[in-house]
Amino acid sequence: MFDRRFLEHFDWWLFLSILLLMVIGFVNLNSGSEATGYPFQWKQLQWYIAGSVSMLILVVFFDYRLLAVYSVHIYLIMVFMLILIVFIGKTVGGSQRWLSLGFMNIQPSELAKLATVIVVSSYFYHDDKPEYGLMDLWRPALLMLVPIYLIYQQPDLGTALFLVFIFASLVYMARLKWTSFLLLLGSAIAAFPLVWEFLKPYQRNRIMDFLFPGKDPLGAGYHISQSKIAIGSGQILGKGYMKGSQAHLNFLPEVHTDFAFSIWAEEWGWVGAVFLLGVFFLMLYRGFLIASQSRERFGAFLAFGITAMFLWQIVINIGMVMGLMPVVGIPLPLISYGGSSVLITLVGAGLLLNVRLRRFMFQKGTKTR
Amino acid sequence: MKFKIETIWHVKRFHRLDQEANKRRCDVAILIMFLCLVTFCARLWHLQVVQGEHFRKKSEQNRIRSVRLQPPRGKILDRTGRLLAGVKPCFNICLIEEDITDMEALLAKLSPLLGETEADIRTRLGSEQKGPKYIPIVIKRGAEWEVLSKIESRLFSLPGVFIEVTPAREYPHGSIAPHLLGYLGEVSREDILKKRYSSARSGDLVGKYGIEKKFENDLAGIKGQRRLEVDAKGRLVRVIDEKPPVPGKDLYLSVDLELQRASEALMKGHVGALVAMDPQTGRILALVSAPAFDLDAFAAGIDHKEWEELNDPVKRPLQNKALQDRYAPASTFKIVIEAAALQERVVTQHTSFECTGSYRLGNSVFRCWSWRGHGQTNLYKALVESCDIYFYQVGLKLGIKKIIDYARDFGLGSKTGIELPSENPGFIATPDWKLRKYNEPWQEGETLITAIGQGFTLVTPLQMACLISAVANGGTLYRPVYLEKLTGPDGHIFKSFESDPKNKLPVSESNLRMIKKALVGVVNDEKGTGNKCKLTDVIVAGKTGTAQVIGQDRRHQDEKLDWRYRDHAWFIAYAPADRPELAVAVLCEHAGHGGSIAAPIAREVFETWFKIQSPWPVLRHYKNAFNINSVDDHV
Repeated sequence: MFDRRFLEHFDWWLFLSILLLMVIGFVNLNSGSEATGYPFQWKQLQWYIAGSVSMLILVVFFDYRLLAVYSVHIYLIMVFMLILIVFIGKTVGGSQRWLSLGFMNIQPSELAKLATVIVVSSYFYHDDKPEYGLMDLWRPALLMLVPIYLIYQQPDLGTALFLVFIFASLVYMARLKWTSFLLLLGSAIAAFPLVWEFLKPYQRNRIMDFLFPGKDPLGAGYHISQSKIAIGSGQILGKGYMKGSQAHLNFLPEVHTDFAFSIWAEEWGWVGAVFLLGVFFLMLYRGFLIASQSRERFGAFLAFGITAMFLWQIVINIGMVMGLMPVVGIPLPLISYGGSSVLITLVGAGLLLNVRLRRFMFQKGTKTR
Repeated sequence: MKFKIETIWHVKRFHRLDQEANKRRCDVAILIMFLCLVTFCARLWHLQVVQGEHFRKKSEQNRIRSVRLQPPRGKILDRTGRLLAGVKPCFNICLIEEDITDMEALLAKLSPLLGETEADIRTRLGSEQKGPKYIPIVIKRGAEWEVLSKIESRLFSLPGVFIEVTPAREYPHGSIAPHLLGYLGEVSREDILKKRYSSARSGDLVGKYGIEKKFENDLAGIKGQRRLEVDAKGRLVRVIDEKPPVPGKDLYLSVDLELQRASEALMKGHVGALVAMDPQTGRILALVSAPAFDLDAFAAGIDHKEWEELNDPVKRPLQNKALQDRYAPASTFKIVIEAAALQERVVTQHTSFECTGSYRLGNSVFRCWSWRGHGQTNLYKALVESCDIYFYQVGLKLGIKKIIDYARDFGLGSKTGIELPSENPGFIATPDWKLRKYNEPWQEGETLITAIGQGFTLVTPLQMACLISAVANGGTLYRPVYLEKLTGPDGHIFKSFESDPKNKLPVSESNLRMIKKALVGVVNDEKGTGNKCKLTDVIVAGKTGTAQVIGQDRRHQDEKLDWRYRDHAWFIAYAPADRPELAVAVLCEHAGHGGSIAAPIAREVFETWFKIQSPWPVLRHYKNAFNINSVDDHV
């Protein structure tokens, strides 16, 4: 079972970046926990440990190609859980996102992110074409519409849109015809006023706040302007660990989840923030490298999809806290507090490592037909 | 499935061209990612370096404080609306760590002002659970005027110190019914983490005992909030908005202030409990547990030594003995036995036994409390003079099973259901229980001593008050209620607490009449054990009890025994005998005879009550206001 090549092909850089992110996440949450008064960091540590163990188990004892076989099951489980939420979901803060397992609450929409990657990758693996037109895409699109709709009506517009992003990224990987691309882009722009009608008032507010932030600094735009003050006041070297006044005086909302990056940037300054971005970059770079070096289609899609999932989460979250994007509740992988998110991130990383590890099976000298 | 896995193993390797196209697309993705990274770094540079100074200033001026507005806690009033527990302003001296630059210098300045050593203040700072730094820490609760004026005049030179006004409890009539009212204490860290109290924050006071605890949510009210904009030195710039607090609800008790106060005075010096209730409704008029504790002392803060005293394992001042402690009912239990015996037709009015002072069962000799014996004793005489020998034989004829059934029907062995925490259900032993616990069968001798209320049987004073009320009102056992209503500050009634009849005693009216007649005899006959409770102008009915704490082979003079070994004194009674208005249960631990210790206390309670009730002065010395010989017709 164990092959010496496992060690050779193990992506130590990716592994290192993930470890570093967990360390940063814990250190940062330690400060955020003090600010909120609840010991989030210890719970998060439990998730890190549980997630790391599942990651390593995945790497050693699992073959990612099994996912292509069971993708239908994975899809059905995902849809089942999302439907279950409609009936027995726990409502927190106005939206029904949680399933209570008694000892823990899970957020199936987080699971849906990874499941989408697996299912769509598997679809494109089985439906192998050099390039895809609109007629080739309606089936996977329909497939994805079910979970996207279920998440949208929770309501969790952010995650629903996020699934669209993942799907789009994989379509890009599968290569879309230019004509189809232009057609899609045109119709998306044309449909925007229609979508605006569908949005809930608070969702419209968020977009308006994004477009005109200073308008109402104590109202709905408060979060973003406070977050910008937090990040900006960090200056080059930061205010020092546990000394972020924005976070510790409770001006920053949700310091432990969505705005975790702000407290980091406030306390560690430009240097710390760029360092964190660098670690993220290392992780994503290794992820894309694994996708580009994969010798077969499913592995390439899977690795690309997972890395794109990380990328979009990072871009949306950090863009939001810096005032470059509207407020959407997307967690920052491994930095934001949240069990489901941490688990999914680490399982995703485990699959990435797995794809890389099994690359040698297709190298010269191994049997392929 | 195996087949499928096999097929997947033969994955299609990329064609060389595909591999290259794949790599190209990944390179584009890496490029996009790199652009994002550059954008972010640039944006960070813009925010943190170019605009950094501006934002740093903004964050330093960013001082929006939210001040929590404490609602006044609901009042607790007696049945006629007299204030038992009100609210008064309490001045706390607080620190905000965030605003303090030099803690050492501040402590040095503060310690002479507060009259405490720096170390004391420091320990208080340390004992406060570490929360966020902008949350005020109370360093002195309920400061006196003298200290306050000193601090107030120097506030300018004490950055980070401020005076907070919070509502605190005041007791206009002194410390009344402490066990019922209960006290407040600082909310514990654990309670906050488990969110046992909505919106409680470190340093807040919450109900810790009695009514204050039980009705915390109703009494506490809802906190308000005022958002202030302050400058970098903490000075108020403007009030942004305000959400006013909602005051707590007021709670009216059925307790009567005067009767409660008199009862507490009567129980002073004793260890025990007293319950007075309206037998017609089950409403509690007074509930005393002695020794009491001082509510004012709790409001001011308890020090270590006082706390030690409150936890005295012998006198147990913090225990509400009326319902949290249990005692052998002793001879008061004979009411149950007599009711059972009459109802089961084991005895009639005319059954009599010879009492020689002792009774032999097998090898054992069981004694009567009167070692000389009562002679020929009938049912009436047996209860009036509390003859043990008579009840031994009645108990034997009834059998333990019937005794247990009746005891349970009289409300013993289960909680009365009063709305107070940690009520004790008492205990009724069964042969099954004994077999399980001691692995021994039930002995007949144990039935004997059960019949006179000794042995395993344990009851609370509250249960006995309910029991005697049920006898008094003709057989209805009530759930004791000490609450009248819950109202808003404007008088709007949120909830009324109705009296709640639980069940009927399984005793016929004529049998009950016979028992009641004997109970009148207990107090009013010359040889009655409870004649120290006799009133000149109202007829009282009652039953004494003297619970042995240790087995006695010889008769001991109680006074010569060690305090711990003396008997518990019981007296349960009601009056007036023909139309009962008040039922009383008194228990004094290790005090001696029920008739000589507990009965006089009950008499004083009755006197107080009838004085309160009577619109005219009672003619205390007008003898024969009631003709005692005609009592039988009344009852």
